[in-house]
Amino acid sequence: MHISPRNELSEFRRRYRWMRVFVFLTFLVFVGRLAYLQLINGGDYHKKSVNNVIRTVSLPAVRGRIFDAKGRVMATSMPSHTLVAIPHYVDMGEGFARLVELLGLDEQEAQKMSDKLNDYRKDSHDMRRFQQISLVENMAPEQLAAVKAYHDELAGIDVVDEPRRYYPYGEIASHVIGYMNEVNGDDITRATENENIVDKYRAGDLIGRKGIEHSFEADLRGVRGWKKKVVDARGLALSKEKAENLLPDASMQEPIPGYDITLTIDVALQKLARQALSGHPSASAVVMNIHDGSILAAVSRPSLDSNKMTAGLTYEEHDAINENPYRPRIDKTVYENYFPGSVFKPFTAFAALEEGIVTPDDVFNCSGFHEFGGRIFKCTHAHGDMTLYDALVQSCNVYFYNLAEMTGMDRIARYAGEFGFGQKTGVGYNTEAAGQIPTREWYDKNFPGQFRIGHTLNAAIGQGNTKVTLMQVATAYSAMANGGTLYQPQVVKRIETPDGEEVKSFQPIIKRRVSVGKHSMDLVMEALAGVVEDEKGTAHSAYNEAVSVAGKTGTAQVVKQSRKKGDTMAEFYYKNRDHAWFASVAPVENPEIAIVVLVEHGGAGGEHAAPVGVEIARRYFDEIAPRHEAPLLADSPADKKKDVKVPVEDTSPTTASAHKH
Amino acid sequence: MAGSLVYNRREEFDWVLVGVVFLISTIGILNLYSTGVASGAPELYLTQLYWVVLGGIGSFIVAIIDYKHYERYGYFAYGAGIILLIMVLVFGKEVGGSVRWFAIGEFRFQPSELMKVLLVVGLAKYLHHDPKAEGRKLEDLFVPALMTGLAMVLILKEPDLGTALLCILVFFSIMMLTRLTFRSTMALLLSTPIVAIVGWSYLMKDYQKQRVISFWNLFVDPEADKLGAGWHANQSIIAIGSGEVTGKGYLQGTAGPHHFLPECRTDFPFSVFAEEHGFLGAAGLVFLYLFLIMWCIRIASQSRDRFGSVIAVGIGSIIFWHVVINLGMVMGIMPVVGMTLPLFSYGGSSVLTFMLGFGLLLNVSIHRYRRSYGT
Repeated sequence: MHISPRNELSEFRRRYRWMRVFVFLTFLVFVGRLAYLQLINGGDYHKKSVNNVIRTVSLPAVRGRIFDAKGRVMATSMPSHTLVAIPHYVDMGEGFARLVELLGLDEQEAQKMSDKLNDYRKDSHDMRRFQQISLVENMAPEQLAAVKAYHDELAGIDVVDEPRRYYPYGEIASHVIGYMNEVNGDDITRATENENIVDKYRAGDLIGRKGIEHSFEADLRGVRGWKKKVVDARGLALSKEKAENLLPDASMQEPIPGYDITLTIDVALQKLARQALSGHPSASAVVMNIHDGSILAAVSRPSLDSNKMTAGLTYEEHDAINENPYRPRIDKTVYENYFPGSVFKPFTAFAALEEGIVTPDDVFNCSGFHEFGGRIFKCTHAHGDMTLYDALVQSCNVYFYNLAEMTGMDRIARYAGEFGFGQKTGVGYNTEAAGQIPTREWYDKNFPGQFRIGHTLNAAIGQGNTKVTLMQVATAYSAMANGGTLYQPQVVKRIETPDGEEVKSFQPIIKRRVSVGKHSMDLVMEALAGVVEDEKGTAHSAYNEAVSVAGKTGTAQVVKQSRKKGDTMAEFYYKNRDHAWFASVAPVENPEIAIVVLVEHGGAGGEHAAPVGVEIARRYFDEIAPRHEAPLLADSPADKKKDVKVPVEDTSPTTASAHKH
Repeated sequence: MAGSLVYNRREEFDWVLVGVVFLISTIGILNLYSTGVASGAPELYLTQLYWVVLGGIGSFIVAIIDYKHYERYGYFAYGAGIILLIMVLVFGKEVGGSVRWFAIGEFRFQPSELMKVLLVVGLAKYLHHDPKAEGRKLEDLFVPALMTGLAMVLILKEPDLGTALLCILVFFSIMMLTRLTFRSTMALLLSTPIVAIVGWSYLMKDYQKQRVISFWNLFVDPEADKLGAGWHANQSIIAIGSGEVTGKGYLQGTAGPHHFLPECRTDFPFSVFAEEHGFLGAAGLVFLYLFLIMWCIRIASQSRDRFGSVIAVGIGSIIFWHVVINLGMVMGIMPVVGMTLPLFSYGGSSVLTFMLGFGLLLNVSIHRYRRSYGT
């Protein structure tokens, strides 16, 4: 039979077997691969796929509140709502238009939002388009209501709750309270390495900065909880029935709220102290309970609004703060070193008295200057014959130059050291400066061969290389007034759970008993009373018969500056004016509080600082602790804190409305 | 018998082929339902059903007309395909940066899909009339290579990299059926790297290159680039692996219903199936495809003429390479190249093309006892 060429199949015959082998082997590879993926590694992939669909949502812990001594809320967490989106699922046409309408955005805001979304959406292969991003933080109530009502029309849009920190008193005690902002890389690393921190920080978390918010972060923060939910790749939750199938274990861990902190600060006092300082652009004051070292008020002007700092600053605001010559970021009560000036004189006097170098009745003549080693050391004017009392009341330098010559630098330094100068007080809530009390050794080390007795003379009147902080002066004057007990200043009274259960109570911490006899202290206290009461006293112009105050003025020289380009004459004069001090205790009989005031570039202490101190004392005994009442800080029962009402805006001096009920 | 247009012998009907195709199509539609049900687009499986039914009817019509008539119009069919490709470049609708479709109302038709089958018909016609007792020399490859090359260049113009690749693979497969000289074999093998280099340098788009690179990266370090271009491959492997032995159950998977695999209906339906039905289901499906391809070879070997043999091997190779490239992609042993899984992936053009192919196969199969014919 003839076979046409077209039917010549022998060419193909031998190929089929090889084809079958090739196809079979290829499919064997696939089955092998399937076995590898599903049979050998199936368990691992199963876990991965479960993790794929289980989203662990953090449940934020409610941060502890901060109360003042009278139970007023100084920091709390308010509910706040954030509008979030998963860019991939947002309908940029009608859906977005509807969103803009519901939120009531203007054209510019809408454009900004759509740019943000499109940035995530532009590359279809970039899976960040499935990540949740936040669009509007701290939504207005009407925005929240609108979005919730029409949620069905807004694909890819959701609202999450995030508590927001709120400080009812804004900048009234902001240096003490501090503020919060987002953690940075260092914070995260530090927390990761710290075993004591169970709940590590994550990007986007807030952390306390400065003040109590920072130093008591661990107590305030609490521990966040979590909730597992089953989602699809869009982040949308699945039906419950499906979710249960994929979610084998516990699905939720409740957050543990942070502890509440009660301060020793009295906001009402804090406010009136601020007001007393209000005439001065850059000034600070500390009010302390002399019997336990608790801080009743710590004012540093200018200050920052904790709410603004927490919400975040614009670049302009940021620059304005950094360029402000009055340094609003600095807590001047603890972080700034100042020459104490004559405020230091009582401690020179203690050294001389205790070492038996002078008696109270020894007289030195002041002719307006003191000559020593070929140099002239000036006094304010010729005071004539001075006893210790006269010299303190009228702040005679010549008297103290004579004392210094006889007592010597190291002995003055030793007594100053006993009163806590030259060391950090340990107040803790903000970074502290140690101040400086020079000794012979210090000069040998820092200025070898240059020590002169003249340095001692300057040290005796709180100049030269003597530097102190307001907090040191307040603790030293407290010790002086309470019979010689030096306390560590404290600002926190109590830590408790949100239910009012006490976690920790802060007892007074005695640093030491100073080795100064009662007789010497009485002598000095008597003279300090004279500073205000005595007609010749440097602070007599501030005398107010409503309140008895014993104090010492100080006029601390500043480093003289030449006029800089761009300075107005007023600025130039301001910068070269001395710092005005007034360190005091009140009342004179049975003192209770120490008040220390420093007005930067205020001029003479008696004229500019003393009136502030006396005013604070007067109003304290008038408004805060009237004489007929139990004096200090009657502890408020903890249960009062339930149902606290937060004052929305209150800058009135007495703040009756801020009291808790 | 030879003169009758329509087949009329029941006992020669290829029930096996029809059964396998029916089985794969049915599983495919059920699987599409799973991918769509949670995404709020379950009606897609219905669309697919319509295409399968329509394609099935078409394939019977194709099958019962004796293929000797197709042989007669073989070059005409090939030429018509080429003209369609040219027309699509001129009048076609641009979607996602490439011009592949004719849009007729709702219906979009992709001529390059059809071209695969028409190329097989054209090549079969040529080889039918060009038997070689000795090995096929290099010059004997010229005409088939030209036919394939012309189609490829037009398809690359669109550009549709996957289909162009498939054309060359089909050409190789058919040529391997013939007897080649050693030189011809070497020339064919050597042309592969050349085509690859030319393709990479001039023809591939950045996103395509990116996928190849990400495939390589994933191969070297499976954890790298999970959210970027490696997402698909990574998610696909997770979906398949997580199926374990018996799978998570129908409609219980995560890849499809939960959107972890975008494009899962066209490119990754197998991953969804493997996740829900496990190794048993997935290996079973792989076996069905293996069986189908082996059956194609059987049909080719039973055919009494060269045209029928080449048609069966050509259609078989289209199915084979689609399956190989798709499964290789979804199992992470090949780069992500958009290639459908026959009758499993969603898409009208794809379903119709494969159904047309099955029609031809069935045709060759049911006419296998007919005496060979001449012209």
